[in-house]
Amino acid sequence: MNAVTFDVAKLADEYKDKTPSEILSLAIEHFEKLSISFSGAEDVVLIDMAVKIKPDIKIFSLDTGRLNPETYQFIEQVRKHYSINIDVMSPDSKQLETFVHEKGLYSFYKDGHQECCGIRKVMPLRRILSTLDAWITGQRQDQSPDTRSGLPVIQKDNTFSSGDHTLVKFNPLSFWTSMQVWQYIRNNDVPFNALHSMGFSSIGCEPCTRPILPNQHEREGRWWWEEATKKECGLHLDNDKN
Amino acid sequence: MNITMVKKILKDGSPCRKCADVLRQLEENKLLNRIDQIVVADERDPNSEGMILAKKHDVNLAPFFVVEEEDQATKIYTVYFKFVKEVLSEGVSEQQEIKEIMDQNTDLDYL
Repeated sequence: MNAVTFDVAKLADEYKDKTPSEILSLAIEHFEKLSISFSGAEDVVLIDMAVKIKPDIKIFSLDTGRLNPETYQFIEQVRKHYSINIDVMSPDSKQLETFVHEKGLYSFYKDGHQECCGIRKVMPLRRILSTLDAWITGQRQDQSPDTRSGLPVIQKDNTFSSGDHTLVKFNPLSFWTSMQVWQYIRNNDVPFNALHSMGFSSIGCEPCTRPILPNQHEREGRWWWEEATKKECGLHLDNDKN
Repeated sequence: MNITMVKKILKDGSPCRKCADVLRQLEENKLLNRIDQIVVADERDPNSEGMILAKKHDVNLAPFFVVEEEDQATKIYTVYFKFVKEVLSEGVSEQQEIKEIMDQNTDLDYL
């Protein structure tokens, strides 16, 4: 089955109360061109669950070139621990060189992180997604009440689908809390990024990530110098639900 | 080919800024006449034509474009520059597309 014949709306509703492993099984069963997006953080639980279903599941990770040493070490640890291959995606060297030449290495502190993230993260992401019919993320609703509150367990990825290529996105941890993720990590002896032991919660690039204090939201550890802005382009369909 | 643009009215009755921006760009680039109809997704009215289309096609971003061609599956575009490039065959830079993708998906960079 490919993404066109996969009934996203029906299955999203049917699977919203299923376990992450059941959602992973559905994805693995239906899609051959499928990969897990691994950020080098607590989304490692997806890998732990998925290799029990399909030991050679495809996994990719976005190497921005600016990750913490601990994150690189962790990606390698995961590769060895599970005996898996991880497709480590790098930015386009020409675009990156032009960007750094024009803006320097720390332009994000001055004019925002978007341009840098666009080149180092989103362009490589788009490149790998163009080869897939479906992908799996560790995104959860509790990570951002503003932008992820309606995150379904399965969705058509309208952002990265194109006219002749439909992409499906699975978010098996959507309804899990951070506490559930960490219970799973502890109960199953899942390896985790050493940065978590140093107070880091949400982990990104080294210059743009910092540890947080107790009771701070995990998002406060990312791009803390930028003013939070509200998403304006969303269509709030929830008012249409019975 | 039949192209429908869906623009949004916010819950407080104000127009969507991004939709207005896209309309302005279509007009400036003389592409507006390639759009067959523009319908409204009024967040105050779940039965407005645009809201029905959004639900039907599982779209949660605005504006978006519905492209219908005979004997072909309906195509949905939520990224304006991708629509311009693929459907209207106009030149678009990758930087323009990525910027729009990031503007629309404010937590994509958290991956």
